[in-house]
Amino acid sequence: MLKRHPLFTFIFFGFVLFLISNRLDELRVYQGATVAIYAIGIGSIILLTGYSGQVSLGHGALLAIGGYAAALARIHYNAPVWLTFVVAVLAAAVGGALLGLAAARLSGPYLAGTTLALAIGLPSIANQFSILGGEQGLSFDIGLPPASLGEDFTQYKWFFWISWLAALISLYWLRNVMNSRYGRSWRAVRSNDVAAELAGIHVGRNKVLAFTISAGLAGLAGALLGMTISLVSPGVFPLALSFSLATGAVLSGVTTLGGVMIGSVTLVAIPEIALAIANRYGSETITTNLPGLLVSALLILTVLFVPNGPVEQLRAKRGKNEHSLKKK
Amino acid sequence: MIRINRRKLITTSAVLAIAALTVATVPAQALNPNMGSDPGVTASSIKLGITSPLTGIAAPGYSKIPGAMKAYFDYVNTNGGVYNRKITLVSKDDQYIPTTAVAKANELILRDKVFALVGTLGTASTKALTASTQLSKRGIPSLFVNSGWSGFADSKAYPTTFPHLPSYQMEAKIMAKYVKETYPGKKIALIYQDDDFGRDALAGFKTAGLTFDTYIPYASGSQSLPATGAGWISKLKTAGTEVTVLFGVSSASTAALANAYAAGFKTQWVLGSVGGDATTIAATNKAYVGFLYGAKGFSFAPATTDTTDEYVKLFQGIYAAAQPTETFDNNVLAGMSNAFLTVQALKAAGANLTRAGLMKAIETKGSTFANPFLTPLGYSSTAHIGAQGYWVGTYGPTGALTPDGGKFAYVVYTTDSGTGPVVLSTYKRPAMPAKGL
Repeated sequence: MLKRHPLFTFIFFGFVLFLISNRLDELRVYQGATVAIYAIGIGSIILLTGYSGQVSLGHGALLAIGGYAAALARIHYNAPVWLTFVVAVLAAAVGGALLGLAAARLSGPYLAGTTLALAIGLPSIANQFSILGGEQGLSFDIGLPPASLGEDFTQYKWFFWISWLAALISLYWLRNVMNSRYGRSWRAVRSNDVAAELAGIHVGRNKVLAFTISAGLAGLAGALLGMTISLVSPGVFPLALSFSLATGAVLSGVTTLGGVMIGSVTLVAIPEIALAIANRYGSETITTNLPGLLVSALLILTVLFVPNGPVEQLRAKRGKNEHSLKKK
Repeated sequence: MIRINRRKLITTSAVLAIAALTVATVPAQALNPNMGSDPGVTASSIKLGITSPLTGIAAPGYSKIPGAMKAYFDYVNTNGGVYNRKITLVSKDDQYIPTTAVAKANELILRDKVFALVGTLGTASTKALTASTQLSKRGIPSLFVNSGWSGFADSKAYPTTFPHLPSYQMEAKIMAKYVKETYPGKKIALIYQDDDFGRDALAGFKTAGLTFDTYIPYASGSQSLPATGAGWISKLKTAGTEVTVLFGVSSASTAALANAYAAGFKTQWVLGSVGGDATTIAATNKAYVGFLYGAKGFSFAPATTDTTDEYVKLFQGIYAAAQPTETFDNNVLAGMSNAFLTVQALKAAGANLTRAGLMKAIETKGSTFANPFLTPLGYSSTAHIGAQGYWVGTYGPTGALTPDGGKFAYVVYTTDSGTGPVVLSTYKRPAMPAKGL
């Protein structure tokens, strides 16, 4: 159905989320907003790595560009909320395009190293220019939810709505892009760049384009992240964030957008599961160390047993079954 | 082919519709389960929450704070609690990452339903969680935050937040007065972190009228690179520096002290309180603690080795019983002082405990609370100012700071975060309540 009526599915999914948001307690609503942000971030990595074959270990830097751009637009120009997100997407896309120009010349571990260096270096730029607020960061306050939504409408529900609307729109759009001529070109480049070039695809241009679009999405995720915690600072975009997103992408399956929810829900759910286990069996030391252990274990298991991600695996299995049925 | 797709469409729609209906019938949870009284407090208990780095880059040293707080709260509990209420402290690990701090603060407020936050650590983390969880709108007290950022004293912007550390400006002003009076005519240099933290200090030095012969700024993070520390020392050497003031984090002091030792360069070190923590320096290399010997340092709490101080004696006893394998250091003293101040505030709020009542009690009576600090507290309804001064001391071979005024005779200076003068304090600390309760 997703194939034939994607828009309908996305709208319906949105409606279900709307109902959910009215029924959950505030902590879950907050976590739900985080899931949406991760979904965008992971989608952005899937586009880059799974579709165009470029590895990024430094997506946190692109999120930071988006987050800071949005906060600056809000603080200095009092931009309306939707515009801050547009600014975030554009700023990060420009950053991504510049990075992409360099990245198109690199591949494999060299590219991974470059993006990693960016994730380490870029956030500390905030300490060099006072306009960026230093280590303490800039407040990013989008204001209270509109009064028309009622007294009981909490701030986090507002964040949840905004994040999910952004996530649904961007994932829908991303899905369409991936199924377009560009998506097919990227896949061709990923599979075999020499063959792609022979088929008339401009490899370099396609790589830069993929980087630009991916960065734009990352920028959106960064702005949303800044919004939910009301702050952008170097500490908001640590190396750990880049690694989490990369992990989420692997858990989701880097070659299919369909699994994006798996990775994002897992990233939010793991600390919860760790807490439940620790409450039952153990102590504080377990709570603090278990999430990292669980994520690492999942990552290893995924790579060992479902290297293309659970969704791709299911699809492959079903394909095999259908194939064998046809034979009979 | 078409039939399969239509069947799929129908099945999926049905599943989604059922899911939607199920969700719609789940009873809505009440947003505000407490009626009348505030969450986290009953006739027999008070639940408090802290989020601080227990793992990660900032954990060495700071990770001892929640344990120290718990040790003191347990001591109070075994002595009857506060108005017969036992205090529990829920501790969360935020790894010094603001995003995680917000998530953990949300868990504390929404799931654990704590009465108040206490001792949250780090300026960026505290700023983020205060704004995102809307502490002021919800009226949730955030007691005695561990940040030297002077902005938290603004009771309009942060009506429910109460800092207790002296600000970085206060520290720089007091350092300036000390350096000017103690080392006149000497060649002095300043190494500082080139961000808000260091710039706060620069502003303080400027207000106090101290100019340095050499300024060496460094970008946060760069202090860990091998070349950075060596570069500082060669600059200091070239300039013929005799006195070096360092206003940075502990990893910067580590780099400076170790490189000076390696290069055989002798200078009188004057270290800011953040960078002079022996526990944090020892986390890098235990041998480096010895390099602190002879350096000047600043503190506002009594020396950790000062057993003539009734608070230190009490805290050492409590901590030794609760955590026999851990050493009693500055971080432990900070955590226990934090918990002590919290208990004083809870006592002052009275038997009928509410969040608003607690904050009112700190604003009206906070400046007279019994507390271990050697400088006066400045709480009022118009400004949330904690400790307001520092004493000067010298580091011993084990990294413990002892006052210069003779054996545990503290010479305390007080000042403000603005343009006020630095004055010798005549403050007499209120006597410790019986049994330190």
